[in-house]
Amino acid sequence: MDKNKIRTLQDLVRESACEYGDKIFLREKNGKEISEKSFRNLYDDSCRLAGYITSKYDGVIHTAVIGGSGYAWLVSYFGTVCGGNGCVPLDAQLPCNDICELLNRADVSIFMYDKKYEVMIDEIREKCPEVKEFISFEKELPQILSENTPAELPPVSPDALASISYTSGTTGKSKGVMLLNRNLIDNAMCQDNESTPDDVVLSILPIHHIYCFTCDILCSLRYGNQLCINDSMLRIAQNLKLFQPTIIMVVPMIAETIYRQIKTISDANPEIPKSAIAKKIFGERLTTIYSGGAYLRPELQRAYHEMGYQMGQGYGMTECSPRITTADRFDKDCAGDVGIIVNGCQVKIEDGEIMVKSPSVMAGYYKDEAETAKTITPDGWLKTGDLGYIDGKKLFITGRKKNLIILSNGENVSPEEIENKFAGTDFISELLVYSEDGMITAEIFPNEEYCKNMSDEEIDKLFKDKVLEINKTLTSAKTIHRMRIRDKEFEKTTSKKIIRRQSEHGRIVK
Amino acid sequence: MFEQLKEFIVNYVDVEPEDITLESRFIDDLGFNSYDFMSLLGDLETELDVVVDESEIVNLHTVGEAIEYLEKLKD
Repeated sequence: MDKNKIRTLQDLVRESACEYGDKIFLREKNGKEISEKSFRNLYDDSCRLAGYITSKYDGVIHTAVIGGSGYAWLVSYFGTVCGGNGCVPLDAQLPCNDICELLNRADVSIFMYDKKYEVMIDEIREKCPEVKEFISFEKELPQILSENTPAELPPVSPDALASISYTSGTTGKSKGVMLLNRNLIDNAMCQDNESTPDDVVLSILPIHHIYCFTCDILCSLRYGNQLCINDSMLRIAQNLKLFQPTIIMVVPMIAETIYRQIKTISDANPEIPKSAIAKKIFGERLTTIYSGGAYLRPELQRAYHEMGYQMGQGYGMTECSPRITTADRFDKDCAGDVGIIVNGCQVKIEDGEIMVKSPSVMAGYYKDEAETAKTITPDGWLKTGDLGYIDGKKLFITGRKKNLIILSNGENVSPEEIENKFAGTDFISELLVYSEDGMITAEIFPNEEYCKNMSDEEIDKLFKDKVLEINKTLTSAKTIHRMRIRDKEFEKTTSKKIIRRQSEHGRIVK
Repeated sequence: MFEQLKEFIVNYVDVEPEDITLESRFIDDLGFNSYDFMSLLGDLETELDVVVDESEIVNLHTVGEAIEYLEKLKD
């Protein structure tokens, strides 16, 4: 695809239909059957919905879409943006109250949803009077697509708003990140030769998430990949076998767990090479695993390389559409970096914080000029809030600025820097480092399986020994002075990240 | 169903079948993480020919609760 022709999402969907036509773009389970849609189908259906919306509403409107990954979701999204309108992709796990709040905050006129949300419609109608139309994936959407012919699309400016993506965040109120057509296109086009039309991508991550949206969806349209939909987190193992992907994008927990399964089988059957066990789990065709969303241990990356996979981790944020770096999937050294800075993206470090200037950077937060001004400097640098450093083209992350612990002597300590030292510790399931009563405190939720036959005293000793070992590697100001052990998991966000401000804490280890 | 479920559980976590009780909690007692637990339910879906509602998963803490839920689905 000639990327110079692509300036808007409408261009991308149209050009993918021109170039890849009737080639299968999407495969998804429909009951026990697999349904297939071509690149041409997606373009035609997006034109049908875009024509319906533009003929019915004056001016630019906002739609919201919620539901599992799949063709109906994609048509709802592209049918909106191909007509020059803006779409709000909502987190499918949000409760009704939060959905209503975001619909009102984002000035949504049309709510598009899958049948799971039918039970919420009465409440949404009552609480969101500005929502004028409700289009379900199962009833109204098929009707609109069957009753409308593909419309000629209006010209869309690269500066037109495409998405308002609400960040889940581990602290504070969610913010509506405004991504323009040119932001998303820049991010999908910034690298080259990442995949080919022969590649099959299994899309595992939630579709409202920008990492999934840009890297799975937009890149598949660009490169002509076949996109297969993982219909549920319950069925990743089955879907890997069913669709036999060549590329997957995962979060570190999935990579960790699958590697642990491989290692368990290998330990019991040392005569079978790990690469053969991995093929049974991932399928015969998988070549590449990308990880993002959280930090991936370099040891784990190396373990996957040793089994013959290309693997790497990238780094980004919703505000940057999202890629700031891209995974160096051929790098077997895995020095602990988070990838190579993408083309066209400038990165600098100011007071330890990673700052980004790129055509992928958002236009701002929707109706929140104060937060926008706090996040983007007047000369256009996005403050990522992450701390790190650059070595050559590689970026390294050391922590989150907002999590910094400021000690009484004025020294700054990044809790993530200390937390990473515990990575791979068998007896720890979850860990949080924070400041309490002026002391650096480490709180753990033990791995119950590992500790099942141990007394509290034995677990305490394991923890104390580990902390002693780690304290030896830290400057005196950064050493851990208090330890806590909890008997239930930490509270988490809907995207499963540990919330740093917990309402309850575990017992103190004497 | 209990015996059937035990056979699946031991494929995921390092635990002896006799140590699994109806009161065993998947995460706290048996050492499942959320990905293991969802994969287990995915395997059970195939085995029992049922469809698990993802929004119900948060209510399934113990082996007994999972059996009760799966039996209801089978009916």
